[in-house]
Amino acid sequence: MKGKYHVMVQNKRLRYEFDIKRNITIIRGDSATGKTTLYAMISLAARMGESSGVDIQCDKKCRTLEGPDWKLVLPTLHDHIIFLDEDDHFLKTTEFAGMVKTSDNYFVIITREDLPNLPYSVEEIYGIHAAGKYHDMKRVFNAFYHLYRVEELSEKISPEEVIVEDSNAGYEFFGHVCRARRISCVSAGGKSRLIDALRGSERENVLVIADGASIGPEMNELFQYMKVHSHVRCYLPESFEWLILRSGLIDGNEVKDILQHPQDFIESQEYFSWERFFTNVLIRYTENTYLQYTKHKLNDTYLHDRSVQMISNAMERVLE
Amino acid sequence: MLKIVFGEIENAIYHPPTYFDNQYEDDWITNPLSIKMIKDIDQSEVVSAHLIQSPVLGPISPREISGGVKTLILMAFDDSGKIFNASSCGDNCAKWIVEIGTGKDLTINLHHVLDFSSAGMFEAYMLNTGKIVRGYEEYLDEAFQIKER
Repeated sequence: MKGKYHVMVQNKRLRYEFDIKRNITIIRGDSATGKTTLYAMISLAARMGESSGVDIQCDKKCRTLEGPDWKLVLPTLHDHIIFLDEDDHFLKTTEFAGMVKTSDNYFVIITREDLPNLPYSVEEIYGIHAAGKYHDMKRVFNAFYHLYRVEELSEKISPEEVIVEDSNAGYEFFGHVCRARRISCVSAGGKSRLIDALRGSERENVLVIADGASIGPEMNELFQYMKVHSHVRCYLPESFEWLILRSGLIDGNEVKDILQHPQDFIESQEYFSWERFFTNVLIRYTENTYLQYTKHKLNDTYLHDRSVQMISNAMERVLE
Repeated sequence: MLKIVFGEIENAIYHPPTYFDNQYEDDWITNPLSIKMIKDIDQSEVVSAHLIQSPVLGPISPREISGGVKTLILMAFDDSGKIFNASSCGDNCAKWIVEIGTGKDLTINLHHVLDFSSAGMFEAYMLNTGKIVRGYEEYLDEAFQIKER
């Protein structure tokens, strides 16, 4: 499944409206914001249809999935938006993650657990808030909001150290840029080790650079770390490959088109998370050119002054 | 004292709201502590043991209060010896967990790092490491050393 879908769920007292555009969306946040109510309304509507009194408007079928039969039911579903609630233990199993990976459905998961087996985006972690009441003052309108505002996380600092999630091409590039600016650059050796790397750092101002497309499971802990260490900031582009594509180094309207609405190009069954898609696009568009890209060893062309400048510009100069 | 244990443990209730629906007592609902928690978290008024007035849903039963408040009420009043999963609670429940833990021995189970930053000064015994933490920063530092979730 690919594309962006607007979902409207309503009854006489409540209306929820939101957009879903990636294979995994997470809903969490404070208690009593209406998460369970949303789930219950979708469950009723999926089970009873119009006679439930719940109206769902969406171009794709919406339904819930729960209970011990999930393994039997999930393979029979295609092209659905599937909602899951936190009471089901299977959400954190590798078996469930494996089935999400190859699924042609989108999943909306209500949970406060990090679910490290699922590579979800920082952009797709939402809370729910009451956005107002309709003119009859009877129906409350609920909307999603981003739990983590990426632009606030990356407010400019002058870093003394940069910690990069990556240990391959991205690390080579950022290491090169940092050396020129006399900034220390270390690789955390994976996103699950970012907190350990931060705790081990002795520098005052630290910038973390990680793939926004899959950093979701680490965000709760990273965000809380930043709460008590105000000198730590995070820069979370979709991925290093996305930055290269965004820099303009690769010519062509097709790339521009992809970057403007990637959800229309990324088939959930093929790509567990968006950074894998952007890597694939970059490899495809640079094949047999002087910019030929491989993830394991960075082509030296990307370290030439012009390339560095263009990619730095795409980063909105967070390293300056 | 508040005791915190991360990860899978025996005798834990993974989804306290379901347990609450099947086990709660009427007098738990009308207890002054529950009335305050329901007002604070759900912005709802307890009318009687069987009726709560919600500003959004209208008149509701105790089974329709939020999962976070259900979990808090269990922590406060259930004496079965069960350990409740506080990952059913939003961060807005943290100060109430601390308050309940100051009045009795309370052990909670966590599957994520609950944000206690709004709970003020508190003391907790971290069962995974055997260390007592004082305040949010010490709690966070200790929680990061525990790999169980």
